[in-house]
Amino acid sequence: MTAVARSWSRLTLAGKILFTVVPILLVLTAGLLLVIVLAGKPIVDFLAANMWLVRFVVAATAVLLMSVPSAFLIIYMEMKVIALMNLRIGPDRVGPFGSLLSVVHGLKVLMKEDFSPTGADRLVFTLAPVVVYMSAVMSLLVLPFAPRIFGADFNIGLLYLFAIGGLTVVGLLMGGWSSFNKYSLLGGLRSAAQVISYEIPLTLSVVGLLILAGTMSLNQLSINQSGWFTNWYVFQQPLGALIFFIAATAEANRTPFDLTEADSEIVAGFATEYSGMRFGFFFFAEYVNVFVVSGLIVTLFFGGWNAPFAWPEAWAIHLNLDPGSLGMGLLFGLLLIPPILILALAAPFYVGRSSLPWWQALIIGFVLFNLLVIVLIGGWAFISLDWVAGLLWFLLKSYVFVFIFVWMRGTLPRVRIDQLMGFAWKWLLPASLLNLFVTALAVIVISPR
Amino acid sequence: MTAAPPHGHLHQEVPSDDPRVQLDEAAGVFEPVPPYPPRTEREAEFYTLGDGEMFINMGPQHPSTHGVLRIVLKLDGENVVDLDPVLGYLHRGVEKLCENSDYHHSIAYLDPLEYIASLFCEWPGVLAFEKLLDVQVPRRAEYIRVLATELNRILSHSMFIGWMALDLGGLTPILYGLIERDEIAEMLGALTGQRLLYNYLRIGGVNGDLNHEFMSRLGDWMSRATTQIEANTTLLNENEIFVRRMRGLGTMDKETAFRMAMTGPNLRASGVPLDFRRAHPYSVFPELEFDIPTREEGDCLARYLVRIDEIKQSLRIIDQVIHNMPDGPVIAKLPRLLRPRPGRAYAAVEGPRGQYAAYVISDGTDQPFRMRIHDPSFVHLQAVGVLMPGHLIADAMAVMASLDPIMGGVDK
Repeated sequence: MTAVARSWSRLTLAGKILFTVVPILLVLTAGLLLVIVLAGKPIVDFLAANMWLVRFVVAATAVLLMSVPSAFLIIYMEMKVIALMNLRIGPDRVGPFGSLLSVVHGLKVLMKEDFSPTGADRLVFTLAPVVVYMSAVMSLLVLPFAPRIFGADFNIGLLYLFAIGGLTVVGLLMGGWSSFNKYSLLGGLRSAAQVISYEIPLTLSVVGLLILAGTMSLNQLSINQSGWFTNWYVFQQPLGALIFFIAATAEANRTPFDLTEADSEIVAGFATEYSGMRFGFFFFAEYVNVFVVSGLIVTLFFGGWNAPFAWPEAWAIHLNLDPGSLGMGLLFGLLLIPPILILALAAPFYVGRSSLPWWQALIIGFVLFNLLVIVLIGGWAFISLDWVAGLLWFLLKSYVFVFIFVWMRGTLPRVRIDQLMGFAWKWLLPASLLNLFVTALAVIVISPR
Repeated sequence: MTAAPPHGHLHQEVPSDDPRVQLDEAAGVFEPVPPYPPRTEREAEFYTLGDGEMFINMGPQHPSTHGVLRIVLKLDGENVVDLDPVLGYLHRGVEKLCENSDYHHSIAYLDPLEYIASLFCEWPGVLAFEKLLDVQVPRRAEYIRVLATELNRILSHSMFIGWMALDLGGLTPILYGLIERDEIAEMLGALTGQRLLYNYLRIGGVNGDLNHEFMSRLGDWMSRATTQIEANTTLLNENEIFVRRMRGLGTMDKETAFRMAMTGPNLRASGVPLDFRRAHPYSVFPELEFDIPTREEGDCLARYLVRIDEIKQSLRIIDQVIHNMPDGPVIAKLPRLLRPRPGRAYAAVEGPRGQYAAYVISDGTDQPFRMRIHDPSFVHLQAVGVLMPGHLIADAMAVMASLDPIMGGVDK
């Protein structure tokens, strides 16, 4: 054993990580600086000329970073809501009301052993969760969260979403086949049969809407539905919305169509042999898919990021704050207003309860002051910035549908595979065709060219 | 299962370019067909599977096999072609244990036979011992026995409703069922001292008289039991998915039910009103008013609905028992060491799953010479061979759940 190896073995885990990561970071930083010094100007020029590239990279990064917390939120929501429906308490240990439990779950799956069963096809086994997760995240890219807040605005956005959504089944099939387990195989084949059958009514149910809207761009669809909630497409396409909702439930493999991971029949379906972060990817992808499906339903049928009402122009509040014109007053205001407000908010508590020490009253005042500032700034942003209001409305409506998915999971048993297929081919497909024909007829009769 | 085919061809060497052995060299040597002849019938069948068929091992750690049951399913796609239940993972030799302990001790061994309806496992044993000893049980003791066992029947059925839904993928009803179960378990815990394995019945009576905590819990629960059970079952009875999956599934006609020696709710769902409380009356059941709910369909839905009706009848019986409870001692005076005359006795009671029975032979010593226990779960489990084939793998689980076997009773 050499001296270097001996010193290395004496390091703690943190030291080993530090001694590995820091040199790599140093080399990378030096290289980056060198590249900027030598070729800074051409790179900046190139990026300025191709802003779409910058925009795409930023959007993709944001969506990738956003997907995991949103999955955490939905997982927590599912645990808590189903617990309340079951008359249980649900998670209540980690964080306030157990809200950090899904974060702890995430850390747990990261720390688990990287395991693959004997006889598994290693490469496919490893790639399957990646395919599933990437397809879920790529669907997020075209969802319009708010005016001007979206990854990319394709003129075939809806088609892109269906194509990417169909990619999920490839990952599930890969996982089911490569696990070398008959339960996994059954799960994978079930998912293939189910998703392919439900793609057809899912796609056909929105064709009527596309005839009405004349565009496939999700952003344009949202803009079309602006104004009062009567402009939402759900009132023109109620049958289409219902079929889309049912088919989307099956697409996202949610109860009552969660046959791919039916735990009472085929232990965990395609995920039987998966553990650790590989299972984590499957798990997160499922919840990202739930969010995507909810967001898609909202975008297509429930007005997207539009508020359900439209004030007349005269009622609109326009706040034009110009901090520059206040001059030195702004500085004094920033210095004086917080302490005064804190004292003012703390005073009633100090006076009202004689047993309260002064410093506790000050803490209450400080917290209340912060809440006040947040409410004021949030209110200002909600009124003045359309993208903040749009984001809030979009998330609110999406989470209503996420709640409905969770609700169904808490209530309904699972359908059988032949009932599932029969329902798709015998009921949803004719109904969506009927919807399409009626819509086309109405468009021709009411608005001829 | 089918007989082993001649397997002379299995002796030959597997060529190395056989695609079946080229699976994953890094993972180790994998040989689908070992070089030795098949050792068991099932192994032989494994090598001669048809095209598209496969064996799948369901259990003993499968989430929905109701304990440690292992079923070897032969699947064609998702269809169950053939199956072979493998028992014995929970065998404890209860009968032999009873034969090696005296009569009082045996009762405690009968309890853990079945961990959902323990009182019904004690009762036939106690009845048989009483027949051997010719003991007159006080009337109050008989009433308390009926009261406790009917509560236990409701406990068992409310768990059944939850399991049934859980095996069909419904998450919520099991927890509603557990609430009922917990309330009754607390009640019986106050009466008997234990929540799960009561060890309450004694030769010639019961272990303790009714106490205040039990009565207050019982009154509290009875005041809302009907509405609560109604509310719990409405979630399933009016659910289109649940009803559609259960109706016409695993249908068993009268003849098959008789041939498979079914008893209890599973038989009554096929239209045979056989109830040992009426057919071969024991205890004070002749004095009590109750109906025997039956259904004609014989499918899983009928087996489920019969159990719900039975809960209502049990509530009726409990009501009458509380109102007619006589005074007096709760246990007959008996010596501590029992030496019955040589002879044999058989006793059967109607449990939540069917006929629980015990057959005891005494040779005049203080220990039973031979003790045989009849458990309905074991008898009903053989019906899966008739009911499951031809159904999908998902329905196999529903059929299994509707028969409601408890593996503790099957493996004894």
